[in-house]
Amino acid sequence: MRVLSTIKFTVLRMVRNYIVLLLLLVVPILLITFFSYILSGVTTETGVPLRDENAMQMVLVFQLFGGSIVMYMIYNDLFTENKMRIYSLPFNQTMYAFSIMLCGAVYSILLGVILMVYAQLVLGVVWGNWVWTIYIISLMAILSIIVCLIFTFSVKKYKIAERLSEVYGVGFVLLAGFFFPMPENAFFDFFGTYGNPLTLSIGAVHEMDQSNLGEAWFQANILLGAIIILFMVMLILGRRRMG
Amino acid sequence: MTIASMQGVVKRYSSDIALDYVDLDIQEGEIIGLLGPNGAGKTTLIQTLTGMTPFERGKVELFGQSKNPFSIQNKERMGLVTQEITVFEELTARENLHFFAGVYGLKGEEKKRRVEEALEFVGLGDKGAKMPTKFSGGMKRRLNIACALTHQPRFLIMDEPTVGIDPQSRNYILETVKKLRENGTTILYTTHYMEEVQAIATRVVIMDQGQIIKEGTVEELIKTVQHEEKMKIDVTDADSVPINDLEKIAGVKKVVLSGSQITIISAVGSGNLDRILTLVKEYTGVLGIQADKPNLEDVFLTLTGKQLRDKGEE
Amino acid sequence: MTIFKFALKRSFSNTTNLIFLTLFPIACIFLPNGEDWPFLPYGYQYFGILILFVGIRLATIILEDREKGVVKRLAVAPISHFQYLSQNLLAYSVILILQCILVVFGGVLYGQELYQPGWLLFLFVSFSFASLAIALAWISIYRKKDVSFLVYMSLIFIVIILGGLMIPIEIFPDLLKRIAIIFPTFWLAEGLNWIVFGENILDFLLINGVLWLYTIIFIIIGSTRKIY
Repeated sequence: MRVLSTIKFTVLRMVRNYIVLLLLLVVPILLITFFSYILSGVTTETGVPLRDENAMQMVLVFQLFGGSIVMYMIYNDLFTENKMRIYSLPFNQTMYAFSIMLCGAVYSILLGVILMVYAQLVLGVVWGNWVWTIYIISLMAILSIIVCLIFTFSVKKYKIAERLSEVYGVGFVLLAGFFFPMPENAFFDFFGTYGNPLTLSIGAVHEMDQSNLGEAWFQANILLGAIIILFMVMLILGRRRMG
Repeated sequence: MTIASMQGVVKRYSSDIALDYVDLDIQEGEIIGLLGPNGAGKTTLIQTLTGMTPFERGKVELFGQSKNPFSIQNKERMGLVTQEITVFEELTARENLHFFAGVYGLKGEEKKRRVEEALEFVGLGDKGAKMPTKFSGGMKRRLNIACALTHQPRFLIMDEPTVGIDPQSRNYILETVKKLRENGTTILYTTHYMEEVQAIATRVVIMDQGQIIKEGTVEELIKTVQHEEKMKIDVTDADSVPINDLEKIAGVKKVVLSGSQITIISAVGSGNLDRILTLVKEYTGVLGIQADKPNLEDVFLTLTGKQLRDKGEE
Repeated sequence: MTIFKFALKRSFSNTTNLIFLTLFPIACIFLPNGEDWPFLPYGYQYFGILILFVGIRLATIILEDREKGVVKRLAVAPISHFQYLSQNLLAYSVILILQCILVVFGGVLYGQELYQPGWLLFLFVSFSFASLAIALAWISIYRKKDVSFLVYMSLIFIVIILGGLMIPIEIFPDLLKRIAIIFPTFWLAEGLNWIVFGENILDFLLINGVLWLYTIIFIIIGSTRKIY
């Protein structure tokens, strides 16, 4: 497995991408800190401190953008001028692409966990179920990567794929009604609930916190189902594009 | 031993033919200079030879294997220096080399040693810890080459490795190529710079419109287009020059006097330089002689034409 | 006015810009009203955010010129740096003003409650100039447009929140309330509040005055650096 020898360097390349660190770590830390100040003492209808609720939402919102680094690296290594060199190397290029995906997922999850640790240690946020929250973060990270790669494989111009990935992130935040209330009709109802990875992930964490195991698994499994289906779509598109 | 061979290879991009029944044999120890105008098919030839692009007809053989020429084992014996600088900008020069060395299966101490050797080989021994973004154009080009050297390939393909760099760096790279050959590496070298091919190639292959239109040593190729020799002689007393006598010498086609300089055009191989000089010296003093012989550029332009080739970039 | 003409053409030349410059402002007109806050419809509260993004997108065209070396070419052309910059800024200002007119009068026609549309337009125009000036100053420290845009987006998002454009400033802790006044977004939010509740015109002029002050300061910062 020659690809194994590349993992260290893939990780190094990810960690040294300071823009990603700024967008996925520094900005959320600033936002979580800010909101925890202005929301301290306020509770939701269910009695959960609004600060905790907000921290959880922030961690999950930023996972929507976690696929950007994988998208950039796969595009850079396998679709630009680097392609020629990478394809001349004596290793399996598909496995190399998967290794970048895997590193990207672990990296994105790790950034999410760092945010959780920061929120708990510095701001005193209480996380209901660590393992479950990390599982949901993982699902969101993997989904984001797959969606970003689908965009990369399906449009010719990388710039457009990048914009689409932003639409995926910002769009689902908007549809979740974080900025303003959405109109009430079947379309917006669906994309504000079960058709929205963000509301699904937030719902799954909520339900687990309230010990509604069935509903928590149901919402998480919808995410898992979406991952499986979109993974296959990604494989087909990827094969066609890289073929 | 034949390192690489292409026989009747055809490759099309929709209706455009990129390789048109290409036959090419590369023998061990050669430095092949591959020349051709833009869009001639050089990059497609390289992509076909490395298994990156499938071809429609013909046969490619690498290291004597024609059944599965692009096997992992064969790829291990090859190296590719790309036209673009394809190094990872987020990794230091040394880390870049470790990446490629690892992919080629090198491990542990041997990997470390080879990486350091490759850095030294391209003159970046003390720059290993630096990021390529901090490098000059020439240093980046040398790092780009080093990335293909850690595994000491038997067959190295270099696709325009000297584009856009200063003469010192170019000279260094050419010396590196010669050293590689001395160490037993076979090299396929594409470039637009004729003087590079003239300096290093043991055999030149000229491509145009997907076909190999000529191949041979530099001297052989020059001979094929050499019909005339031009000689310019600067004299002390132009009025005394025996123009009529010069024109009578066998093989001399034309004699022109301009100021204090005589220009004489004669048939190639007539060997009358000595006769002309003796005759001129009888009448006047000679200040300087200049003999223009065709070079590789003349060969290239004669074979591929002088018209601009912008079609491919439209 | 060649540069002015081409700055306009280039601004509309790519799809993303076209969406930012046309579709998004139109979408703002149709966003609903909030329950308790914001006092103006959401589209008008958030239009300031769009103005900030449009500002950087437009100013990035200058950065693109620098990245590609076009600025070098212009430096040897018979045109001064002042002409180059002023004609570009004029073109971007025209685009931003048209956007503001579209959003405000579109809202009036659609029937949104905008209290004092004329003053609202004036406020948005003042903020547009400030946005453009900040963007110009921002790009003057960069050479790569992608990096500049991404870092700006992430920082500006924090400025938007800290300025009270997305969350009412009343719920901020005292320290953050005091810090907020240094952000231009605070003055926009104050201006929006004045549109709904304001009586004394001097307050409104002060708010706009601060935005103009930002414009002047950042234009000076942004135009003094002419990196080739």
